[in-house]
Amino acid sequence: MLRRAAISCGVLLALLTAAPHVFGRTRPSYGGTLHVEIAGDPWQHGTGIARRMVMDGLTDFDAAGMLQSALAVNWKSDNNNHRWQFQLRPGVVFQDGTPLSAANVVAALNADCDGHCPWTAVRAVASSVVFTGEAAMPNLPALLASDEFLIALTVKPDGSTPGGNIGTGPFRLTGFTNGVLQLGANENCWRGRPFVDAVEIRVHRAVRDQWLDLSVGRADVVEIPPEMLRQALQQRLNVVAVQEAQLLELHADGTGALANPMLRGAIANAVDRAALADVIFQKQAEATASLLPENVSGYAFLFPTGRNMDEAHRIRGGLNAPPLLLSSDGGAAMQLAAQRIALNLKEAGFNVQTTAAASRHADLELHALPMESRNPADLLVLLIRASGEAAPQELSFASITGLYKTERDFLASHSVIPLLDLPRAYATGPRVRELKLGVDGAPDIAEASLEDAP
Amino acid sequence: MRHFGMAVIFVGMQLQFAWAAPEPWDGPAAKLAEQVAGIMGPGQVRLAVENRSTIAAGDVSAIRGLLEQDLKAHGITVSGAESANILQVTLSENARERLWVAEVVQGNETQVAMVTLPAVPATRTAHAGGVALLSETVLVTDKPVLGMIESGSGLVALEPEQIVYFLRWPNGWTPSAHSAIVQQRPMVRDPRGVLESVSGGFAAWLPGETCTGQTDSVAGAGSLIAQCAGSDDPWSIAEIGPVVTGGAQLKAFYNARRNFFTGVVTPSVGVELPPFYSAALVPRAVGGAALLVGGTDGKVQLVENNALRPVSGTRDWGSDFVSMTTGCGLGAQVIASSSGAAATDSLRAYELPALEAIPASAPLAMDGPVMAMWVGSDNKSVYVTVQRSADQYEVDRVTASCN
Repeated sequence: MLRRAAISCGVLLALLTAAPHVFGRTRPSYGGTLHVEIAGDPWQHGTGIARRMVMDGLTDFDAAGMLQSALAVNWKSDNNNHRWQFQLRPGVVFQDGTPLSAANVVAALNADCDGHCPWTAVRAVASSVVFTGEAAMPNLPALLASDEFLIALTVKPDGSTPGGNIGTGPFRLTGFTNGVLQLGANENCWRGRPFVDAVEIRVHRAVRDQWLDLSVGRADVVEIPPEMLRQALQQRLNVVAVQEAQLLELHADGTGALANPMLRGAIANAVDRAALADVIFQKQAEATASLLPENVSGYAFLFPTGRNMDEAHRIRGGLNAPPLLLSSDGGAAMQLAAQRIALNLKEAGFNVQTTAAASRHADLELHALPMESRNPADLLVLLIRASGEAAPQELSFASITGLYKTERDFLASHSVIPLLDLPRAYATGPRVRELKLGVDGAPDIAEASLEDAP
Repeated sequence: MRHFGMAVIFVGMQLQFAWAAPEPWDGPAAKLAEQVAGIMGPGQVRLAVENRSTIAAGDVSAIRGLLEQDLKAHGITVSGAESANILQVTLSENARERLWVAEVVQGNETQVAMVTLPAVPATRTAHAGGVALLSETVLVTDKPVLGMIESGSGLVALEPEQIVYFLRWPNGWTPSAHSAIVQQRPMVRDPRGVLESVSGGFAAWLPGETCTGQTDSVAGAGSLIAQCAGSDDPWSIAEIGPVVTGGAQLKAFYNARRNFFTGVVTPSVGVELPPFYSAALVPRAVGGAALLVGGTDGKVQLVENNALRPVSGTRDWGSDFVSMTTGCGLGAQVIASSSGAAATDSLRAYELPALEAIPASAPLAMDGPVMAMWVGSDNKSVYVTVQRSADQYEVDRVTASCN
């Protein structure tokens, strides 16, 4: 609790700007081009900044992380959540003018999950989309709000395949030249035209170069990785941040060398979360052993976060594990975190090699999962799916106690080992007025406007 | 003046304490004790209570006392270190509610029980000075209220996608009926609207849409009937009232795809206006009224004698202002929100004896940014919609008193 308080103080300035409602308000003005720089891929699933600028889902999470309607205006379930029917919003068109129809939503959804869908079948029925599942799908509306199920046009009315991503979102793709993705305002966006006329996203730009560009006015919005948040505040950058935006988790493949749950349990006890938070992420992360953060569930303290080597040795007993491969996605900090975990596990008797790129053959994978919702049951289901695991068959979300038991039982297999709650932050230049972040730290570029807009 | 402000703040703190004091701990303590009894049955237990929540430290001992009493009623005696059973109670909370967690440790087995409690309602403070501005919360909603009027026995509120009729119940204003507004074109991201009383009911203007309706009609008390249709008719500029000579309504055309008025008004004011966010009629000392216009370029100008003249002293103004009759000072003041450069949003009264806005009150701090502002039907109060959080708005009624 004291550590959390210290972190809160440390990023107080950032969080003040993250709260969308602190400053006085001048109405946003229309026009201008916003310049954004990022280190990664703008179309990457989960964190790609361009995805939600161009595409919408059937449902969505609002700024408070609660479910709201999007391309679907309402939905209902039958047959004990084995069948769901989503009624489409009328009058919506894709950015090329193609009307949104149930048929192209079905085609997009099938392309999104490519056989690994949470439903058994999806079909178009007049202006609605019907999902059926062999298993109950109590949280399907929330799943459909995730980044995974955004709707892109897959086939044009003339039967041709679109050249790039065409969605119903506030921006349309206009070009990609010299490492800069160009997007223009979608005048016919059903949610309203964005305030800026255009956005240019310079991709694969090193963070140091992003900050330099911000300082000389070449960039308006740049990234701040968690490990550089403290430095950004010291440099008095104008920071917007969300403290518990991502969950850093270690995924243990339960089918290979770590098929024995005792080995996975030993790993969970051997990882030193506090060192990861303090050293790798410069005290800007919060150690966690639960999927849901404390401010979502209120019971995260029931999952102890401390390293317990005695317990790790006890659980492992005489079991031997072959050499393990640990892969990590993300930047340098993620690779350092992976190396630190490998050292922790070595002290518990495991021989772990690390690799920077995601590997199909990895026994352990380090991921940062976006926390897109603030509804406990929805977020739990989203995180379990994002981790690659199947949701428990028996979900009991009717009470907080049921939710706790579901989470506890899921984590007991140690296939998913929560490590840290990570912040997500951006710095903005003086032209930018009111950049808001979602609860997962994703910037809402459509709501941003420029001071010097014409 | 400084002393007055401090005194009012102190009163605000007193109110906060007054609101926070009566916490209903009895119910949750009884429920948790019942669950614990269901787990362990009668016996002895070592009780520890930890507070991880915003509950005041002074209340924790009272909660412990209630727990001991309720456990005893179920045959569980809280004992000293001699008991093998341990009951660890943690007073926790999340962003929505409070959560009390009981961990019952019996040997190597730990079982958990939980009860939830509603979060404490948000409190707010207000302070004023000079012409003293006072604020009270009228409504709390999950969508922004763009305009509100008294109608029949209740309040009609205009939201971006519906009109809602509220009736007063002992626990406050409660929605009685609503009418959805089906937008004819894509919504705008900074929704605005105007709602006013007309003969026999109300009229509402939204971007590209007009509505008329009535309350408590033949459908019965508490009912609401509204009809909406696509329209680019000019909007009535709200604060036309007793300050206007001649009684003509000034209307302005709104850009339905943006968030501002085009600058075209009817009847003509004799000069070409720039696109503007807000306009207010300000009574002049020599009689009549002048039109104050807040342009989309941030400039505030006054239309007087067929000329458009810049007004100084408005650098701190936000995009929203109205004119209100207070009877103080010059008799009427402009109430303006603060600019985006301010640390918190606030309202402040100004007087315009000439072409300079002179502060007539201390800033009245708001709980969040001002999303909409309109003058009350009595022209002596201002209603303000403030965004408290991402999905919560409050409508405040602001009045003035003379010092």
